[in-house]
Amino acid sequence: MKLRNIAVIYNKERMDLLRDKRTIINMLLFPLVMFPLINTGFAKMEKRFTEKAARETAPIMVLGAEHAPAMIEKLRATGKYQILPFTEDFKQQIGDKKLRAAVEFPAGFEESLRTAGSAAPSVKLYFYSTELNSEMTVGNLEEFFSKQRSEMAAGRLAGRGIAASVLTPVKTEEENVATQEKVSGARLGGLIPYFIIIFSLMGALHPAMDLTAGEKERGTLETILASAVSRGELVMGKFFFVLTASVVTAIISLTSYGMTLKYAPARAMARGADASAKAFVASFSLKSLAMVFGMVLPLAMFFSATLIAVALIARNYKEAQSYVGPIMIFAIIPAIISVLPGIELNAKLALIPILNVSLVSKEVLSGSYPWGFIGLVFASTCFYAAVALAAAALQFQREEVLFRT
Amino acid sequence: MPDEPLISVRDLTKHFRTFKRREGVWGAMRNLVKREYIAVRAVDRVTFEIQRGDMVGYIGPNGAGKSTTIKMLTGILVPTGGEILSNGFVPWRQRRQYVKTIGVVFGQRTQLWWDIAVVESFKLLRKIYDVSQRDYDERMEMFNHVLNLKDYLHTPVRKLSLGERMRCDLAAALLHNPPILFLDEPTIGLDVVAKDHIRQFLKEINQRYRTTVLLTTHDLDDIEELCKRIMIIDHGRLLYDGPLALLKQKLLRTKQVKFVVKDGEQAARLPALEKDGLRIEAVDHLTYRIVFDRTKTSTAELLRQILAEVEVRDLLIEDEPIEEIVKRIYAGEALKEVSA
Repeated sequence: MKLRNIAVIYNKERMDLLRDKRTIINMLLFPLVMFPLINTGFAKMEKRFTEKAARETAPIMVLGAEHAPAMIEKLRATGKYQILPFTEDFKQQIGDKKLRAAVEFPAGFEESLRTAGSAAPSVKLYFYSTELNSEMTVGNLEEFFSKQRSEMAAGRLAGRGIAASVLTPVKTEEENVATQEKVSGARLGGLIPYFIIIFSLMGALHPAMDLTAGEKERGTLETILASAVSRGELVMGKFFFVLTASVVTAIISLTSYGMTLKYAPARAMARGADASAKAFVASFSLKSLAMVFGMVLPLAMFFSATLIAVALIARNYKEAQSYVGPIMIFAIIPAIISVLPGIELNAKLALIPILNVSLVSKEVLSGSYPWGFIGLVFASTCFYAAVALAAAALQFQREEVLFRT
Repeated sequence: MPDEPLISVRDLTKHFRTFKRREGVWGAMRNLVKREYIAVRAVDRVTFEIQRGDMVGYIGPNGAGKSTTIKMLTGILVPTGGEILSNGFVPWRQRRQYVKTIGVVFGQRTQLWWDIAVVESFKLLRKIYDVSQRDYDERMEMFNHVLNLKDYLHTPVRKLSLGERMRCDLAAALLHNPPILFLDEPTIGLDVVAKDHIRQFLKEINQRYRTTVLLTTHDLDDIEELCKRIMIIDHGRLLYDGPLALLKQKLLRTKQVKFVVKDGEQAARLPALEKDGLRIEAVDHLTYRIVFDRTKTSTAELLRQILAEVEVRDLLIEDEPIEEIVKRIYAGEALKEVSA
């Protein structure tokens, strides 16, 4: 195998593909603009929803209003509810989403509140489970009543000359010991490997199909096979180009993601996630980035070789697309699993392709370096990449694959 | 003493395994589960030799095995059986060294890369084939001269017409000055002018460099213009291998006389000629044709009869077109006579 011939093939593929608009769009443009677009899109949407929620009043119905005029007045004073006159079919209306919820006061409600020592009256709340708006409204109502409860309790205690602190004999206090890097790392670090994996796959996708099935379709495969490059050189040239496309796409997407977090206009977010995101980006160490890159590289090799091996079976680009679809799903599922809460890296998971890289990158980005796992993940991913590359090379030796009719 | 043959092929055989495709949706589902495989003999015990400097035509109907033979000769496919020794190499075993001594053009394919300018492809090929810059420049000069490549060297291949692309493909195949050139349907889909261009070029390189050429074609004019020798293959079997002239001589059973009579009055007298199984067909107004078996009827005798009976303004004697002969060969009628 001659390095120079591999380089010739590589250059040929590069020239061929960079003239193709699809490559440019998939590899460079899409990953570059996706994050800013999503970010501003989400910010806009979030703003609109909060504004809408603030404006909106929830239609509710009150049963037994005559028993609790004072409470209803307080309810009305919150400005969150539109209290409709009672009708018999209120349950039906909740089901039809005309009502968010209904509140039922028992007979003698306010009476029993005033009388000390009587049994506590209960308020009944009607809602429709699985209907998000209804659940939200009922949550708000519960909050309202709980507030009323504490106020009443405090009032009663004060009436008897007892300090309100008697209600909370023990207090709890929390202190977060995680570093800023850890906090935002766990929050955003889980997503980053996911994006890198998806994009390194996406970057490899079009070149892998075009250089195999596409070449068959255009009829240039026979002639390159008949030329003075060996099959091995041919595979390697193609493989390295697909790998380049994959890595470049991943790097661009990662950079774009980082830049978006860092420079995006500050969002009015209550939890301060935006500020921590900026701190997170700032806290990226070169070491952790290099480490993630080192993990993604063999994964990108694995993707590139697998895609080449599979797409070569197809007779044309269109057919290749249908073969590659399932691969996409198989790659995305482990990436998604890694984002789920409670999934922690262990020796078994460190052997599962894609998932292992995703999990270990998450660790690394949040500032911890489990060297044993890092080694295990790297080695196993390299192994899978080697197997996939061998499979791709083998495919190029098979006449029934190359000359399928 | 004759030269050692440049290409020698013995009992070359290639089997493909395909499966019977059942019809319909249900059939397609069953295809996925259980397949009945059939072995197809694409090439079946083919034997021939080609001398240096020869130009040999290789013809046969679609699916006869022409392209498969070429693919084995170029080392892309490994034969199921038999031997090939071409320019001292076994193509599929010493492919790398071997392909540096051959040029290949697949008429329906191209070795020029689709999206990049022609000249870029040439430069890449120059590197692959280790052609020195001096040789490259010299050959490009020649190609520019003979093939008129200059105008579209910087155009991407996909924008070239078929004829232009074929010229570029030929130049690409000959860049490393190979002693052997394999052409698979080099003139397919080209117009008359473009075909002529390609043929002239092939003649020229054959004469100038003594390049040995094996070409497959559907177009028998290619053969008549270029090749003294033809090989005919069908169903994977070599049906004929020999001089084109001999094939014609042995298989030319019929000839035709076409003539134009002076007027309608003369035409009315024609039926008198229809004896001894001769039939007169009207071709056009006042133009008639007699097709006859030259082994039974002598041409001179027939002419004498015609001229004696009617007044003729014009007259033409033609051999049976070679297409007709080849059709008869494919139909399996004709070859017993030749194989002797």
